[in-house]
Amino acid sequence: MSNLMQRDIHITAKDLLNSLQFKEGDFGKITLVSGQVQRAEACLSYLENPVKNFSFLGYTFWTGDYKGKRITVGNGGFFSPDSAFITEMLCVGGVDILIRLGSCGALREDIDIGDFIIVDKVIRGEGTTRYYVDDNFIPYIDKEITKNLFQHFSKEAKVYQGGVWTTDALLRETKEIVNSYIQKGAICVDMVTSPFVTIANLYQKKVACVLVVSDNLMTGKLGFTELAFLDAQEKMVEIVFGFIEDYV
Amino acid sequence: MKILFLQPNLGAWSTFGKHCAPNIGQAQLAGLIRQKHPEYLLKALDCRALGYDDKTMLSEIEKFNPDIVHIGDILHTTGGAAVVYRYNEAAKLVKEKFPKVTIVASGLVYASAPGEILERNPQIDYCIVGEHDYTFLELIEALEQAKDVSKVAGLSFRKDGKIVLTPYRPLISDLDELPFPAYDLFPMDRYVGHTYWKGYVETWNSRGCPAGCSFCYEWSQFDTRSTADLKFFRARSAKLVAEELELLADKFGMKVVCMMDDCFNVSRRRMEEFLEEAKKRNFAQKINWVFLGRAPYYLRDLDLIKEFRSAGCIMALVGIEVATNEELQEIGKGITVEQVKETVAKLRENKVASILTWMMGFENDDEYRIKKRYEAIDEIDPDICALQYLTPMPGAPIWQKYIERGWVKFDDLKTWDFHHPVVPTKHLSIEEIGNLGAWALREFYSKPGRIERVLYSKDYHPLVKLCFRDFMQNVSRFEKASKHQELYV
Repeated sequence: MSNLMQRDIHITAKDLLNSLQFKEGDFGKITLVSGQVQRAEACLSYLENPVKNFSFLGYTFWTGDYKGKRITVGNGGFFSPDSAFITEMLCVGGVDILIRLGSCGALREDIDIGDFIIVDKVIRGEGTTRYYVDDNFIPYIDKEITKNLFQHFSKEAKVYQGGVWTTDALLRETKEIVNSYIQKGAICVDMVTSPFVTIANLYQKKVACVLVVSDNLMTGKLGFTELAFLDAQEKMVEIVFGFIEDYV
Repeated sequence: MKILFLQPNLGAWSTFGKHCAPNIGQAQLAGLIRQKHPEYLLKALDCRALGYDDKTMLSEIEKFNPDIVHIGDILHTTGGAAVVYRYNEAAKLVKEKFPKVTIVASGLVYASAPGEILERNPQIDYCIVGEHDYTFLELIEALEQAKDVSKVAGLSFRKDGKIVLTPYRPLISDLDELPFPAYDLFPMDRYVGHTYWKGYVETWNSRGCPAGCSFCYEWSQFDTRSTADLKFFRARSAKLVAEELELLADKFGMKVVCMMDDCFNVSRRRMEEFLEEAKKRNFAQKINWVFLGRAPYYLRDLDLIKEFRSAGCIMALVGIEVATNEELQEIGKGITVEQVKETVAKLRENKVASILTWMMGFENDDEYRIKKRYEAIDEIDPDICALQYLTPMPGAPIWQKYIERGWVKFDDLKTWDFHHPVVPTKHLSIEEIGNLGAWALREFYSKPGRIERVLYSKDYHPLVKLCFRDFMQNVSRFEKASKHQELYV
């Protein structure tokens, strides 16, 4: 008996979906993916007749109707490893448009807690995507959705468009590391966007990201429990559903 | 005779943000004096509401030129016993500038520790001992007619260099005999609750509580010569309470009232009558109300909870203080954890938000007990929690024990607002208790799920969400009070 693995792969996204009794067509074509359960639940409150798709390892998705469109919502991971496999499950499950509703730390002094960032550039700083693509791969965002999202957010909130750097190490956001990513064009940092976009790109899905600012690395301000941040999370969900109604 | 009711420029509890209401004890006194002596000139000077500093306060007093200045508060929610420090300081300024003015103090602490107060505060001429209404009236009459004040029951003052105490005054049996508070003397358009509640007022229509817990702050409103005064529950009729609320809404434009009675729901019949009156007068459309009650009574009246919202009630308070049945027995609270849990759940089911009060700093508290207590509070899961540190108040049954142990001393009371730990436990220093309190409140108000449930609720009244918002915004002030002795009252 060999000590080496003989099977090609232990488990695929399709295997996982099968194990969860998932059927083709269970997901809508559009999905809104959050890290926070509460943000996902805020999305859920907009859906009519939602049904649960699955609940697996603490990640839960529902699909329901919004103004005649089928939308899938759920919490898709806090970090790159979990975001990667959930995103892959969504892509294999049949969604066409993935929109991330996330949070981030700002890398500019003038960006406040509760402001929004529409991502137009993704800078890979995490380790997970190396399992999917080579180091030269540059993830790309859907330009048209991004443009429309920016227009919607501009009408109702303070919003910026710019690059996000995805890191794996919250407690190693040192001056040297942070400044190097600012120089590469990042205006914010998170722990999810890079695998989310990369995997959507691999499956040729349309993908966009809206991030609400929870803290500011330049000023040191932490806003995770600030009302400005909490209110903005609610606002983000409201605006995105307005976008879905008008655009998608 | 010119009488001035003085409220110096106080703050409020650290978790309350901008918060001020008419001094209800003074408003009631003024109502009674005006009823009996319409010829007297009365003025309420609420420097807190008007934003007057001490200099302006003195210049306003000079303009009115009073014979009597009254100080003191009856509600512990204004700032615990720390308000006494501010009253005493204000009285000092008044006496320095107007030495002929007679200063009379009543309410919390003054009522139960007149000797300690008069000994340390030569600027105060009279302390009313116990319930203040008729004692104040009779004192004023005696002073006006130059009669012997030692005939007035329930009074303490200096005579020939010694502090004397006149006989015990029994409590008023029928609160309906008292007139409405003289709200018109107060700047009613300036009052605000929890930063966002404009048109805010606090009422006080029953006195006493059948439980009479040994640690309760309310003992300090009563004469210590009776050990049963707090337990003698008396209440104004539901109809009068409703009439007062209607007056506040119609005449003064008040929008939210917190009924500060220690326990509003003692009598089921009174609750039924009040709810009926509230619905008949359409309070849900014109004045929302909040009240304080006990868990067993909420459960006795489960069918009535369904009517709360339609009668204008948006939020209700229940106290637990500790969180195991063993601890509840230890402190003589007379309720169970299960009762509190069910109360909170039933209120939520009926779209009424819950406020849970709890405490730390009891004599046997150690870190394990306090952290377990927090876990239980978290599981009960009220919408708002108000944490207070055990503060032995003069007059409370635990006071003497703490004095004998040397764990407490009667100082200037500056930090005795219940948001600063002032006594140790058998196992924890004052500093350690403060650290645990700061930890617990931060934990409560940063829990994902709870925040969203309340802040963005589709069920609760918008005023509830604003109140929660205010608590969240002020958690850091509670931390500063608990750990760094910052003052907010």
